[in-house]
Amino acid sequence: MTEDTTHLPIIEARGLSKRYGRGTLALDDVTFTIGSGRIVGLMGANGAGKTTALKAILGLTPFEGHLQVLGQNPSRERDALMRDVCFIADVAVLPKWMRVSQALDFVSGIHPRFSRTRAEEVLASTDIQLHQRVSQLSKGMITQLHLALIMAIDAKLLVLDEPTLGLDLLYRRGFYERLLNDYFDHQRTILVTTHQVEEVEHLLDHIILLRKGRVVLDCAVSDIEARYVQVLASPERADAARAMQPLHEREVFGRKLFIFETKDAGSYAGLGEVRTPSISDLFVALLGEHS
Amino acid sequence: MTAFLTLMRRELWEHRSLVWAPLVTALLLVLATFFGSRVGGLDFELGDQEAGFFSDLAATPVAQVQLFAVWMGSLLIPQLIVGLLVVFFYLLDTLYGERRDRSILFWKSLPISDASTVLSKFAVAALLMPVWVWGISLVSGVLIFLIVKFMVAGTALAPLGVWHGSAWLLVQATLLQNLLIAALWYAPIAAWLLVISVFAKRSPFFWAVLPPLLVAILEEVAFGSERILVFIGHRLSGYFQAVQPGLMRSRDDETTLQTVAEAYQALSAAPLLASPSLWLGVLSAALLLALAIRLRRWRDDA
Repeated sequence: MTEDTTHLPIIEARGLSKRYGRGTLALDDVTFTIGSGRIVGLMGANGAGKTTALKAILGLTPFEGHLQVLGQNPSRERDALMRDVCFIADVAVLPKWMRVSQALDFVSGIHPRFSRTRAEEVLASTDIQLHQRVSQLSKGMITQLHLALIMAIDAKLLVLDEPTLGLDLLYRRGFYERLLNDYFDHQRTILVTTHQVEEVEHLLDHIILLRKGRVVLDCAVSDIEARYVQVLASPERADAARAMQPLHEREVFGRKLFIFETKDAGSYAGLGEVRTPSISDLFVALLGEHS
Repeated sequence: MTAFLTLMRRELWEHRSLVWAPLVTALLLVLATFFGSRVGGLDFELGDQEAGFFSDLAATPVAQVQLFAVWMGSLLIPQLIVGLLVVFFYLLDTLYGERRDRSILFWKSLPISDASTVLSKFAVAALLMPVWVWGISLVSGVLIFLIVKFMVAGTALAPLGVWHGSAWLLVQATLLQNLLIAALWYAPIAAWLLVISVFAKRSPFFWAVLPPLLVAILEEVAFGSERILVFIGHRLSGYFQAVQPGLMRSRDDETTLQTVAEAYQALSAAPLLASPSLWLGVLSAALLLALAIRLRRWRDDA
């Protein structure tokens, strides 16, 4: 491995599949590439395969197909890989018995890229005390502690699995703000899964939507404008709109809202108000009941 | 190396009873000696037989040394029993608990191999704990000796208060050696407990104990034989069977124990190192540890 790896994709999945027992496929021939320096949202409803995909990426579960993370096979080279990858799984997986100071001692003892000073700086801006045990902290504070540990590790890829689930609004906001302002620097890549799209849509560069183990959308946020269009049409134009094969249709204040995969950008103007759909709109359109 | 030591430290943070239980036992022993000898020890009303025993003891230095060696050595036993109990439950819980409270997802988010994790837990049980139990009993032994020496001074029991430095050193060295040999002998049981700990979905205690018993009972019912039971019994008690003959000799046949070196022979478990049984056990332990590492690597239910 002497070749220059800086321009390689951070994650490359081709034909990634995962079946639990003899049951349904949790991942069904999934292919995507995640480039360096991006904030990528891996989204889908509960049970769409998000967590399974993350587990495969983190080498926590066996899989079929081709998967490379930072140029390494997460199944075989997990121990080396984890030096460059951090992840926060869900909330509150920090052990309850641990003191904050022990958490710092522990991570500095085992992680070659951990800066204790940096972690202490981040903690100083919270209400967390070094002598406290994790069991004495609120859920929000535990997440702050975990984030402080992660932010002090010089990693190339940060994986977040529903990192703010069950937190109140202030902590959720604070979490992402902190991440964006004090951590992300375009040298790193962040992969976040969530089913609460509104919470992350303003910070993503790229989205991958999963539905029943399949990729239904893999798109840079900057490309959404060129690829999708949303039209707010008056009821009398609805039939004309339907004839153009919308992805999704719903009713808003007595008018019809259609989302199309763009074929000819000019042809929608006659139907009504044309806009670029938000990520939430696409999420609903592609994953909702009617699609 | 720092990483491995950090992992071992973490075990002691989490399972504080490993540190405290043997220590408290030793403290209780010291206190019991202190108060016990104050209450019962100031007025020595010896019968003729006992009085004769102690006056003989005063006259025969070799017997004195032997008695000293035996009671210094036996002070280890309470801490050892308590230590074994906490280690048993520690091994059963350690890889089960991390899945139950999902902290495994935190441990696995860090660059620690499953091998170092499992081996650090094994090292705590099989290396650190014997040395800790030994160290505690060494210090508490000296304290207890000092209390006894003070109490028996000027009485007929005075020979009990004589310090035998070289015998003491020899006893302590032998005990440490014996504890490490015992750790080798019991390594497969420790490794088995770790396998169960990583494997069991719930109640690891029953998984660890019931299947071997059930298989033994089935054998009894089906073939009328008890090979499995004998095998398990040998693994559990074999260490003591190996150490016992020496101790029995020291009790029954006083004439053979004339020197300190013979007292060592009586106490030492070193002959066990020549037993194939011990090394087959070590090999099984290695295989079971490899299994535990592999199971933890791919366990996917947190």
